Parts: sequence; structure tokens; C-alpha cells
Amino acid sequence: MLKLVTRETDDRQDFESDAPVTQDQLLARVAQGDQAAFAALYDQIAPRVLGLVRRLLRDHAQSEEVTQEIFLEIWQTATRYDSTKGGASTWIMTMAHRRAVDRVRASQSSRDRDTKIGIRDYDAAYDNVAETVQTRVEHERVEKAMLRLTELQRQAVSLAYYGGYSHSEVATLLSVPIGTVKTRLRDGMIRLRDELGVAS
Amino acid sequence: MTDQRNDPTSLTGAYALNALSAEERAAVEARLTESESLRHEVTELADTAVLLGRAVAPVTPPPALKANIMDMIASTPQLPPLQDDTTGETDATASVTEIAPPRPASPSTAAATPPSASTSAVGTAPTPAERRAQARWFTKPAVALASVAAVLGLIIGGGVLVNTMGESQQNNQAADQLAAINAASDSQRAVSEIEGGGTATLVWSGELASAAMIVDGLPELPDDKVYELWFIGEETGARPAGTFTVSDDGRTLRVLDGEMHAGDAVGVTVEPRGGSETPTTEPIVAITSA
Repeated sequence: MLKLVTRETDDRQDFESDAPVTQDQLLARVAQGDQAAFAALYDQIAPRVLGLVRRLLRDHAQSEEVTQEIFLEIWQTATRYDSTKGGASTWIMTMAHRRAVDRVRASQSSRDRDTKIGIRDYDAAYDNVAETVQTRVEHERVEKAMLRLTELQRQAVSLAYYGGYSHSEVATLLSVPIGTVKTRLRDGMIRLRDELGVAS
Repeated sequence: MTDQRNDPTSLTGAYALNALSAEERAAVEARLTESESLRHEVTELADTAVLLGRAVAPVTPPPALKANIMDMIASTPQLPPLQDDTTGETDATASVTEIAPPRPASPSTAAATPPSASTSAVGTAPTPAERRAQARWFTKPAVALASVAAVLGLIIGGGVLVNTMGESQQNNQAADQLAAINAASDSQRAVSEIEGGGTATLVWSGELASAAMIVDGLPELPDDKVYELWFIGEETGARPAGTFTVSDDGRTLRVLDGEMHAGDAVGVTVEPRGGSETPTTEPIVAITSA
């Protein structure tokens, strides 16, 4: 019985990972106007995009709206994507974060966000809706790297990235001068870069 | 709070985290073209930020979302690819070249016309007046190709300009819009000499369908005249895009009214106060965006 269960699972995974088409390849086809490739790319990366956007916006309806905007932008600008400047996933996640931040800043509700909620949010529990082994590993790696930062660095980076706060808002939330926040954000990111082994 | 005017090089962390204002963001981006090491750091920190994003648990979107998006893209044209023939500073290579005459339509102009031009362009044929105006526009003598150096100078000049204005809310708004255009991923710039002295700089983004003109060194006009901006498309002819006057120092930032279509040229004429519906004088400057 155990055997059977295992095999079923394996079959499934094999089937899904069969004939792997990378996101880079898909994006190249999207740039040629290939809607089927766009659909495949969406299937691969939309959960990550929605996950990130919802992390920042919290509101589900708004998050879907922003995700829709992001994919529309992917479609429109795939023709201008420069693969020499990073992979498709990097391009898309960067765009997603920026769009989510834009929305956070634009929506009045975010301006009124309670300071305490903001502070608490940086280490809020993760939403496990579509977690996979892969994302769990990535999450743990980042979490571990985060622990190498100073308290202030970690809070500043988290509030900025996961909260969508501007550096001046972060300064207010943490009651430190804005110059200090800039330094902490840079030092913190450099530390994370080194811990995570990012090199260009 | 403008007491902290930090060097853009100290802002790389905040930049990668999207924690900067549009103006600061533009300031960092302006510096990227000059500094290899800054570019390197920004790239690495941006990649690091992506890992922060990938650490977030994915959320399965509802099927309806995909259906919506597939519907939308089916009717949404893609942007034309950028004509990159160099690497790196390509966004600075906006061409300020001779505007092709409309009659023997140059192949490059035709090729650069994106699908959106046919779908979004107004279907009506240009009036005879518009045709005349258009003919004038398209037979202007060549203007110099903007050098990268001039463009860089402009970005920095533009930054200064933004900082020195800000008395009126309208100026602030224009500065914000300029910063937004500057910050757009497909932002482009072109600088052109103006007949009779001064420079005109066009900053635009196809993504935002928006453009801003910065003029420097333009003569002040008599009270009954204004400068008028025009979007000029091969299909649509010249479309009025707002008027402006210049202050004592001859410097003005004006965000163009209306939507910029891909391939539009932008020009300036002198018109009677209140502006005109179609150009009534020869343009003092025309800049192509395609």
C-alpha cells in the first residue's frame, strides 16, 4: 500500500515536470505573441506573483487586480525583455514587487495603517496556501539569512520589502533618522546578498 | 524633510527594495549609466530582493483570474521591441533624427508603427488643415542626434530643475509626473536644439503613454502669444497637447496633455494666446520618439 501511494505521487510529479520548458523559453515565446506560452508561463509563476502581492496588500480582491495588471504588463512588455539582464523569474518578480508597492502607496488605507500592525507584520506567519517543497526550502534559506542581520536591519528590510513602506515611513515606524534607515537597508541587503550567495 | 540629501550610492538598498520616492529612484537610475560599480551593486541587491519575494508562500489564483487575463491579452497589442543596437545606455539613444516625409513613407517608420497605432488611432481622416500642418511637420530639416553626454547632462539638469521649482502645486504635480515618466521601465529621452536658441528635451514612456517637455533658454513671448505643444502621428496628424509660457530664466517643464501614441513626434509652435486647434506657424522644434 505504501508502495502504491509512493508510486502514484511519483507518477504525478514526473508527469508535471516532463518536457520541462523553462520560464525563460516561455517568455521568449510570449515576446513573439504566443498566447499559449503566456498561459503556460502564467500557470508556472502566477501563484508566486499573487503570493507576493497579497503579502503586501493583504486584501485579496485588490491583490488579484494587481496580479492582473502585472500579467498584462508582462504580455505588453515581453517584447522588450532583455534576457542578458537577468532571468524571466527575476524580471517578473521585480515587476510584481514594484507594482504591489505602487498600489500600497496609492491606496489610502495603507496610509492609515496602524503603526503596530506594521511592526508586527514583518514577521507575520506565512500563508501556506500553495506551499511546495521548493518554496519551503527557499523560505527557510531566506529566514536563516535574515537571522544574520542586526535587529534594526532585519526590521527595516522586512518593513520595506514585505510591508511596502518607503524608507521615510520605515524611519517613522522604527523611530530612527531616515539616514540611519538608508544605511541599514543597504547594509542589510548587502549582508543578505552575501549570506544567500548572490553574485552577478 | 529635505535635510537629508544623500548620495544616490547610499540608496542602493532602498532602491532594490522599492522604498524610494519616484524622484530618488530617478536620481539613482541617472547615476547607473555613469558608474559600473553602482550598476553592479544595484543588480546584485535587486536579485537579492527577488529571493525575498520567492520566500513568500505562493497563493493559488482562482481560475477566473486566468480567464480574465487571457481575455485581456487576446485583445491587447504588445509594445514594439526597443531598437537596441548598443548595450547598456540604450535608453539614452532616443533618436532625434530627420523626420521622414509622409509621402514616400520610410520603411523604418512603417516598421516601427506598433499594432496599437492601428487599433487606438482615431479612425477619422485628417482634415485638409491638419494635412497641411502635417506636411510642414514632416518636412522639417534634420535636427542633431542627441548624444549620450547631452542626455546625461539633461537628466542631471532635470533633477536640478525639479528641485528648484516646487512653489506651486501645479509645478509639484508636473515634477511628480516627470519623475514617474523617468522611473518607467521604458522611459526615453531626447534633446534637441531649438531654432533661435535654447534646448528642448522630451522625456517619454510608451508604457505610461505620457510625455513631458523641458525647455531651457527659450525667449519670453509677448502677452498675446503662447508656446503650444503637439503630438504628431502619421495617422492622426497634429494633436494639441497644451500650451506653456516661459519664466524669466527661459526654463519650463510641461507634461503634455493627452495620450502619446507609439511613434508620435512632439513639436512646439508659437500660437495666439489660448492656443490653436491645428498649428498655425512653423514649429520651432520637433522631436521624434520612434
